Amino acid sequence: MTPLAHYLILSGILFSIGLAGVLIRKNIIVVFMCLEMMLSAANISLVAFSRAQGTEGVPVYDPQVLSLFVVAVAAAEVAIGLALIVAMFRARKSVESTAITTLKD
Amino acid sequence: METSIISATYTWAQFIPEFTLVGLASLILLADCFLPKLPKSCYALLAAVGAVATAFFMDSEVSLGQFRMLAVIATALTVLLAYDYRQVICASISGDDSEEGSTELYALPLIACAGICALTQAKDIIMLFVSLEVVTLSSYVLAGYFRRNQGSIEAGVKYLILGAMSTGLLVFGSAWYYGMTGSFMLNADVVTNVFFGTEPALSVGFMMAMALLLAGAFFKTGTAPMHIWIPDVYQGAPTPVSAFLAVASKTAGFAVLCMLLFPFAELQVTPIMQCLVILTAITLLIGNLGAIGQTNAKRLLGYSSIAQAGFIMVFLINSTGEVAQTQVANYLTAYLLSTMAAFYAIAMVRTQRGSEELSAFRALGKTNPVIAFLITVAFASLAGVPLTYGFIVKFDSFCALVNAYSVWSSSCWLTTLLVIMVIGATAGFYYYFKVIREMYWEKPQAELKPLNVPMVTAGVMAGCVILLIALGTWPLLTGNM
Repeated sequence: MTPLAHYLILSGILFSIGLAGVLIRKNIIVVFMCLEMMLSAANISLVAFSRAQGTEGVPVYDPQVLSLFVVAVAAAEVAIGLALIVAMFRARKSVESTAITTLKD
Repeated sequence: METSIISATYTWAQFIPEFTLVGLASLILLADCFLPKLPKSCYALLAAVGAVATAFFMDSEVSLGQFRMLAVIATALTVLLAYDYRQVICASISGDDSEEGSTELYALPLIACAGICALTQAKDIIMLFVSLEVVTLSSYVLAGYFRRNQGSIEAGVKYLILGAMSTGLLVFGSAWYYGMTGSFMLNADVVTNVFFGTEPALSVGFMMAMALLLAGAFFKTGTAPMHIWIPDVYQGAPTPVSAFLAVASKTAGFAVLCMLLFPFAELQVTPIMQCLVILTAITLLIGNLGAIGQTNAKRLLGYSSIAQAGFIMVFLINSTGEVAQTQVANYLTAYLLSTMAAFYAIAMVRTQRGSEELSAFRALGKTNPVIAFLITVAFASLAGVPLTYGFIVKFDSFCALVNAYSVWSSSCWLTTLLVIMVIGATAGFYYYFKVIREMYWEKPQAELKPLNVPMVTAGVMAGCVILLIALGTWPLLTGNM
């Protein structure tokens, strides 16, 4: 059986790539994909911990329930996010974060 | 086995207010579909009445009950503000006077409010996450509601990206919280087991989990380093939505913060407290110094909200027990009353003078002396002028810091923070009084007509100001501070 640490390292790497993408990338759709990756990374951790805490091969289901909620929330977020991005494209003819400059000090 | 424990900590009956709010919101949305003849603005009144009615059968004695009450009142005031703002709302949505598509702006705050109410009752992280996301997701829609308006869309996108990032941090933190403790419950036993248990290595992972969870809460409260969205979103979002984010959403954030830090009340975990001191100091500096140069009234209130969050954080440095929760709730009450009055004033000026700049407030002292007085008291309370409630709570915040000296061994941290608080409070007097100066001292460029004050705005502003003065003078009369 694969040890817990391997899953955690994988999830940590995915999370870091996602976070770095959010901070670095300019295209808002790519940023949005990176955000989803952060959530998926957290889900991997949740399911891995759920297995690790279990006894005799039966996982504890609490974290798996949370991971299902995360999937649902992520889906709702995508629905709202893509609607906002479409509205932004109509208003600006661009989905680059460098194009949103109306509000600043 | 553990699953049954989590569901057993809740009863259906305790969520009746939440069900009522969501039911009312669904009812309004259905009525919008099936009764097209009805004027949309009556839904706003219905929503406000419903929210106030919910407040009556809520138990405020339970833990964090005050936060729940504040959220419901803030929601009712938000919806009423949207009612008075409907002229601008309709023009921004459809481009003409038709009311088509404005109903969601009245229904969504109710759903967000249900999220906040459920949040204050959470005892575990799953409940906390789901209810917090209910608030966040509705707020995304609300912030970008004027989809023809460049500022609103930009506010929506910025809020979405940064909000989703904070969600990511929160979920990752939750996963590690579970991994290190073996439970999602938020209580002192779980935390004690990690810190004083057999595996010292666990406390390192647990610290990381706490850092990520707190980052998620800081996003809502507007504490540095998660404050970047606040000025932009407050300025761009529709004014009722800015008011909602400023008051209700911040209340939700502090409820989460209180819940996360409550288990640490007895433990005195120094690293967490030191982090809080540093972040509070940074928040105070950014909020107060950033506000000084602002000329847009909503942006000014954005920075002001960061600054006030800094003052509230001070209570949590001293202790995180029940007393601190009450103090935080009191500060939030003062903040609610004065900020709501300020946003009503901004909405009224925007509707009739077409601008949200501070210069639009010019000569209100001559044209509308009563309204100018109400605005003066609201901003004076934000600044902390004596005889207003704002002074009492700010004084409390300074007292909390002084009390913390007895608990802490290294007092130089606290002294630095005290100096920064004094700088912040002083700067506050400058930037809040900019509005007051515009109203009384600045000469108008052209002949300005007096504003014609809508009934709801007049009532709410007068109510807020009377409460601010009454609560501010009461302790002086009875003599117990």
